[in-house]
Amino acid sequence: MQKTKIDNKFTVPIGPQHPALKEPAFFSLNVDGEIVTNAYVRLGYAHRGVERAAEERNWVQTQYLLERICGICSHIHSTAYCLGVEKLAGIEAPPRAQAIRILVAELERIHSHFLWLGVASHEAGFDTLFMYSWRDRETVMDILESLTGNRVNYSANLLGGVKYDVDSEQEDIIRNGLEYLEERLNYYLGIVTSDALFLKRTRGIGGMTRNQAEVLGAVGPTARASNVQRDIRVEAPYSAYKKYPVSIVLETNGDLEARFIVRVKEMIESCHLINQILDNLPEGELVVRMKRRIQPGETVVRVEAPRGELFYFIKSNGTDKPERIKVRTPTICNMSSVVKLAIGSQLADIPVILAGIDPCFSCNDRSVQINYQKRKKTLWTWEELRNYGIRYYNGNS
Amino acid sequence: MDTETILTTARLLIEDLSEKVESPEVDRLDFYLTDPKNVIVAAAGLRVKHLGYLSAITGIDPGIDQEVLEVLFHFCTGYATITLRVNVPKDSPEINTLTEIIPGAEPFERELSEMFGVKVIGLRNPAHLYLPDDWPDGVYPLLKDFQPEMLNEPS
Repeated sequence: MQKTKIDNKFTVPIGPQHPALKEPAFFSLNVDGEIVTNAYVRLGYAHRGVERAAEERNWVQTQYLLERICGICSHIHSTAYCLGVEKLAGIEAPPRAQAIRILVAELERIHSHFLWLGVASHEAGFDTLFMYSWRDRETVMDILESLTGNRVNYSANLLGGVKYDVDSEQEDIIRNGLEYLEERLNYYLGIVTSDALFLKRTRGIGGMTRNQAEVLGAVGPTARASNVQRDIRVEAPYSAYKKYPVSIVLETNGDLEARFIVRVKEMIESCHLINQILDNLPEGELVVRMKRRIQPGETVVRVEAPRGELFYFIKSNGTDKPERIKVRTPTICNMSSVVKLAIGSQLADIPVILAGIDPCFSCNDRSVQINYQKRKKTLWTWEELRNYGIRYYNGNS
Repeated sequence: MDTETILTTARLLIEDLSEKVESPEVDRLDFYLTDPKNVIVAAAGLRVKHLGYLSAITGIDPGIDQEVLEVLFHFCTGYATITLRVNVPKDSPEINTLTEIIPGAEPFERELSEMFGVKVIGLRNPAHLYLPDDWPDGVYPLLKDFQPEMLNEPS
C-alpha cells in the first residue's frame, strides 16, 4: 500500500492585538498538534518614523524626540544620543554629570528588569511573583521621581551634561530604597531557582546554546544567559563606566531559568554599582556649553540598554540639524532568536519564550503611545493621585 | 584580542577589496568597498576571524542631487567598529543578502529594503516588516525626496 503524507499543518495567528502581550505584534505559527513547526513575525504596528522625524528637527529637539522612542528605557536613548553628539562637537560632559548619567541608567535598568520579572512570571502563570515584583518596582520608580520629577521619560540629560544634581537627602532616599530592593532581590533569586511549579515552566524551556546566540546575533541578558560575553559596559566601557567597573553576569544553560537568574543578579549588581557611584560622586559642574551647530562628521555610539546593546549612528552635515540618525534597538536583534526558538516548542510555551527576551515593541518600531482623555486638565500631586486611587477602590469594593 | 590587533587583522583582510580605508575615529575603521558584491566576502572573513558581529546596517541618502545611495555594514566587538561601505546606484539599487552567513541580518536587510528601496537579492522573505501592507510601491520614506503627500497619490 502506498503511503500518502497528510499535511497536518495548521496555522495559528496570534496578534497583532492579543492577551499575551500588551504591545502589538503579529505572529503566525504553524503547528503540528501542540508542537510549533514554523514561525513568522510581522512588526511595525507601532511604527512612527522617528528616524525621518529626527532629520527635520534641530539637535536639541531631536534629543527629546529620541528620548520618547521608548517609555521604559528612555534615558539610555538620550544618553546614547548625547554621547554621540558630544563626540561630534568635540566636548565632554563634566565628571559629575557622567556619574549621574550612569546612576540614572542603572536605576532605569533596575526598573526595567523588575517590570520584565513581573511580565515574564505573569506569562508563566506565577501571578504572585508578578504582583510582588511590581510592588517593589514602585520603590525604584519613587527614587527616579524624587531625582528627576518623572517616573518615566526622566529627561535627565542635556547635550553637554545633566539637568539634575543629587543632594544628600536624595542620596539617603536612594540608599534606603536600594537596601530594601537588594533584600527582596535575593529573596526572588531563591524563588526563581527553587519553586518547583515555576521551574516546570522555565527550566529547559526555550534553550539557546552559545553558538546559536552568537549566530543569531542575540544581545544583552538574552545572550548572557547563553554564556555569550556581550555587555558594552564591560567590553567597551563608555562615559563613567570606565571609573565604576561592572562585573558581567553570565549563565550557561541558555533557558528561561537562566534568563531569570541573569536579570535578577544584574539588578543586584546594579544596586552595588549605584552605591559605589554615591560613595565616590565627583564634585563639580553639571554641564558644559554646547554649540548650536555641529561640525560635519559621523560617529557610532554603542551603549548597554536594559535589553542589550543599543546602537546609534549619527551623521552631521554642519548645520543645526542632523543629516541621518540610525537607531538599532536590542529587541530587533533578539527577535530572530524568538522565531528560531519557537520552532519545536509547545504552543503553550510561546508567550513565555517571547517574554523571555524582554521584547519592547515601541523600541522596535520606534514609536510613542499617546494617552488622550477628553477631560478638563488638572494637575495632581503624587499624593493626591494616590489618595484618589485609595478612595476610588474603597468606594467601589 | 585587543582593539589594535582586530583593526590590523581586518585591514590585512579587506584592504585588497577596498578602494580606500579611513579611520574616522579611534577604534573605527571604514572600508570603502569597490564592488557591492564583495560585502559577502568581507563579512565572511570578519566572521571567520572573529572580528566582530553584525551590529547594524545603515542606509544613507547623501542628497536629492546625488546618484548613489550608501549602505553601511557595521561589525562591532569590544571597542572596535569595522564598517563596510558600499555605494549602490539610485536607479537600480541592489545588494546581495548576508543571511546565508549571518541569519540575524534578515530584519536589518528588510528594513533597508523598505526604507530605501534597496533590493536585497536572495532574501527569504522580502515582505514588509515595518511599513503597512498597503504602503504604495516605489515610495521609500527615508529617501531625501520623500514627501508625505506621496502617500495620497493614486499609484
